[in-house]
Amino acid sequence: MSTAFDSVVDVLIIGSGPAGVQAAIHASRKKATTLVVGKPTGSAIYGTDVDNYFGTGSVDGESMLSEGISQAESTGARFILENVVSSGVVDGGFQIGLDGGDVVTARSVIIATGVARTKLGVPGEKELFGKGVSYCAVCDCNFYRGRRAVIVGNESEAGMSAEMMTGYASETSWVIWEDGVNPVLLDKAKASGVSIFRSRPVSIEGEGKVERLVLEDGTVIQTDGVFIELGARSAADIAMDLGVMPEMDDSIKVGADCSTTVKGVFACGDVTGKPWQVAKAVGQGCIAGMAAADYSKGTI
Amino acid sequence: MVTELNESNFDSFVESNKIAVIDCWAPWCGPCRRMGPIIEELSNDLAGRVGVAKLNTDDNQAIAVRFNINAIPTLLVFKDNVLVDSLVGLRPKEDIIAYVDSL
Repeated sequence: MSTAFDSVVDVLIIGSGPAGVQAAIHASRKKATTLVVGKPTGSAIYGTDVDNYFGTGSVDGESMLSEGISQAESTGARFILENVVSSGVVDGGFQIGLDGGDVVTARSVIIATGVARTKLGVPGEKELFGKGVSYCAVCDCNFYRGRRAVIVGNESEAGMSAEMMTGYASETSWVIWEDGVNPVLLDKAKASGVSIFRSRPVSIEGEGKVERLVLEDGTVIQTDGVFIELGARSAADIAMDLGVMPEMDDSIKVGADCSTTVKGVFACGDVTGKPWQVAKAVGQGCIAGMAAADYSKGTI
Repeated sequence: MVTELNESNFDSFVESNKIAVIDCWAPWCGPCRRMGPIIEELSNDLAGRVGVAKLNTDDNQAIAVRFNINAIPTLLVFKDNVLVDSLVGLRPKEDIIAYVDSL
């Protein structure tokens, strides 16, 4: 497959919010080949105003991100609007798979994913957790052999989960209610026999166990399991695949130079824990970007 | 090392401990991998009071079905050979100790 970017980069940044973009600015200014993977629309500041950042007054997040991306691109950073679906350690660095099918090798990785929303927030979700409601399809697919499963979510993790689930469940459905699904993943899921529904989930119902999922358009899907997989692959999963153990709250502990316990893996922004503030995110982004660039060039 | 249970030693382990906490897990489950070190510590911290063990649900599906496990990690908690709770999801060591102390 042809790509619009190098298949081997010095610094690969996962996440294109304030932390990731600032990291890209500083890594690329140090002449490191820099690739940023992620969708700015998923940033916590997209669609909101930021009014507590030094020197800017009140500014809308979308403009901030757009301007920041232009700055990073002007010094050579490349941005790709896809999600990470796999990650691992290879000789000389790390290998990151994208939902469009490309695989990138990176000498260093910066995890700047922010904090993901994981709960759907519908009636029945909490009550039926562990009784058919799951937040980890890859963990629990084995319990659904010959049973019916519904995957709920608008991004790559839901698509990957739906395709995988067809190897276990007798019937697999995928509920999508926003645009954002990579068409490659959608086609793969359909080809695997996944039934696609396009309406927002409103309740999970059943007596002591999941029996059905109700959608906003009135559709009722009879099922044994509801797998809630919102967003992209979680930072905790990416971190573990790279050898970094997350904290109990899914945050990633970093040192003063934003390094993790694994050489070549850095983290910055909300994913490193509170405070969840733009100022802290860009500060850490600056540090992580420079440190990753130096690491990838062997100067630290 | 935490005792690994299977079909042949599961029942005898539960019977031989006043309180037994069994961590049901599988190798590909991320939260289970994070639970692993917590269970190791619990095994030491609760030694002599509570029997702590692990059960690979992939290798022991009949036990998973027997206890109606639909999600992992799940902690099966037994007291006097009776299942008193199934705690689903990753949780801190302190919470598990507090729960066991309340039994």
